[in-house]
Amino acid sequence: MNPIITAFANGIKKSGVELSNIVVVSDIPFEPEIIKDLGVDFFHVTRGRAIAFGTGLKLGNPDLKVVAFIGDLMTLGGNHLVHSGRRNMEMLVICVNNFVYKEIAETPAPSVSSPSETGKKFHGTGGFSAFSTFEKPFNAPHLANSCGAVFTARWTAMHTNELTNSIANALLKRGFSVIEVLSPGPNFYKDINQIDSELLDFYYKNSVTKNNEDTRNVEITSEEKIITGEFTDKEKSPFIDTYNAQLGKILGDKFIPLGGHSGRD
Amino acid sequence: MKANPRDVNSGTYYMDGDVASGYGALAAGCRFIGGYPITPSTEAAETFARIAPKAGAVFIQMEDELASIASVMGASWSGVKTMTITSGPGYSLMMEAIGLGAMIEAPFVILNIQRGGPSTGVPTKTGQADMMQSRWGSHGDYEVIAISPDSPQELFDYTIKAFNLSEKYRCPVMIMADECVGHMSEKVVIPPAEEIEIEPRRFYDGPKEKYLPFKPDQDLVPKMVKAGDGYNLYITGLVHDEKGYPIKNQMEKGKRQKLPTRRLVDKIRLNADKIIELNEEGLDDADVVVVSYGISYRVAVRGIEKAREKGIKVGSLRLITVWPFPDKKINELASKVKAFVVPEINYGQIVFEVERCSHGQANVVLVPHGGAGVHNPDDIAEAIEYAVKEKKKIRKVIEWKTRLEKFVFEGGCKLNK
Repeated sequence: MNPIITAFANGIKKSGVELSNIVVVSDIPFEPEIIKDLGVDFFHVTRGRAIAFGTGLKLGNPDLKVVAFIGDLMTLGGNHLVHSGRRNMEMLVICVNNFVYKEIAETPAPSVSSPSETGKKFHGTGGFSAFSTFEKPFNAPHLANSCGAVFTARWTAMHTNELTNSIANALLKRGFSVIEVLSPGPNFYKDINQIDSELLDFYYKNSVTKNNEDTRNVEITSEEKIITGEFTDKEKSPFIDTYNAQLGKILGDKFIPLGGHSGRD
Repeated sequence: MKANPRDVNSGTYYMDGDVASGYGALAAGCRFIGGYPITPSTEAAETFARIAPKAGAVFIQMEDELASIASVMGASWSGVKTMTITSGPGYSLMMEAIGLGAMIEAPFVILNIQRGGPSTGVPTKTGQADMMQSRWGSHGDYEVIAISPDSPQELFDYTIKAFNLSEKYRCPVMIMADECVGHMSEKVVIPPAEEIEIEPRRFYDGPKEKYLPFKPDQDLVPKMVKAGDGYNLYITGLVHDEKGYPIKNQMEKGKRQKLPTRRLVDKIRLNADKIIELNEEGLDDADVVVVSYGISYRVAVRGIEKAREKGIKVGSLRLITVWPFPDKKINELASKVKAFVVPEINYGQIVFEVERCSHGQANVVLVPHGGAGVHNPDDIAEAIEYAVKEKKKIRKVIEWKTRLEKFVFEGGCKLNK
């Protein structure tokens, strides 16, 4: 986890966004101690509700930069991902995919690829799931892209520079951005602050960077190399802008637009 | 603090309870509602959605009730007053988050226009069967405040009060109205802004570096700040210390860490006398007291009249605040009266609280109703008549067989032996 938080801290610095303006929301599987020292506000909420909680924060105070750190993005709360993409809610979602949920639940998870010799390696020792994996995984960047996200990327935790750049870019995007980061789960593999470096290395070495690749082609399979890179980068009016435009058009002078604390107490 | 004139649509109206609640929310200073439409509460959301943009407030239709309640808590911590609107099935979906709301002490209001029956039940008709759910719905120990209005006017007035209580005690406040009250149209007077008292948020104004988000004041309620104001907040649903950091090891550095749970419970329990609002009538010389709330109160009024016509001394205790429960009041009455009669649109919820608080001193008669309608006042009158005549102390809740029960379960609902 630590390399991701480091990249996050560096990404914030690089983007020039005020630290105190950043609010990080995470849900149950994800709760890094190190975030205490980052100088951001942090909310740790119920399973799967980070994006929804973040939506409230953003609409309550449109000046905030909301970042949702999510472990289990596509199960609990998958609907929030889909609809936030549709609305283009201004928010950065960092999905930390550690392929681990499967092993905890002893059943396939939506982010885990099918089994094979290499596949086993994806899951550490590969021996935790009683019946291995037989369901098809989600292709997270493609899912986000097709729901309307303006920015999607995937990196492994070892791509520190690339990840830093992507986080900086995404923080400056006005709209819904999703970055998938592949990282072994520290809690599960070894002790809490120690990452299985061998596995981390495996992800890194087994990846190939293809920026601007069509997200349809970036599915993670155990046979092929993991495709990393920045896949989507487009401009689209974010939710608050479309809200203000639409209601302003109908209500005219009577409308008090959201943002800039106008009309707020 | 007085309400902002921009938020108050003063005047005399003929409107239904849901609509009145929407107006009440804005008048109370609500700036965010995240909701998902559900009968019979939708009109409240519609009303707010229509009037909010002119006051700088926002309504968003979220993707589901899980998202609604989470967004409401997020908006609450961003520094604005918030509410969500729902009915039974949506309310059930919100339960997990209510525990989080209690834990992170986010002030917010939930309007639950109750429908009849479990599950999808009777969406367009009334019920009062979510009362215990409002108290115990989320896992773990916590306390909430629940209010039960009985008219559109009260849905306006008590929506404002619900906001005030949630800001004051920083806990979820439930408005437990029912479909009858939500959909009945009556005269509603919205007073001028200067006559509406609203509770501002308890913002912290001390030095930034000394702020502890969960350090309680005298009344056990901590002060709040806004997310994004540079306080380096750490707010979690895990048990946490005053700084908000999770308590992972209860004995840290030889010092026992205090869990927040006791205070979350006590901030309501110890302030109960200040929170509870009751409507008492004819209690002084009463032999029987009718304990009721919401629409059942208004039906009970007729039942009480009928019993009085027969010379029975019957008083009425209406629970405007249902949670925290008025333990003391019921206990005090129990020592003086023969019996309590509790009409409610369920098969026994609040009646067991009445029984608990009467400690066997008075008989307790339940006048049940299975939902999708209200009581027949004659049933209540007859239950009162029976209660005053019953000489024996019956050490359990007595269920009065109403006309409806006799009709629905002809010959009684019995187990086959």
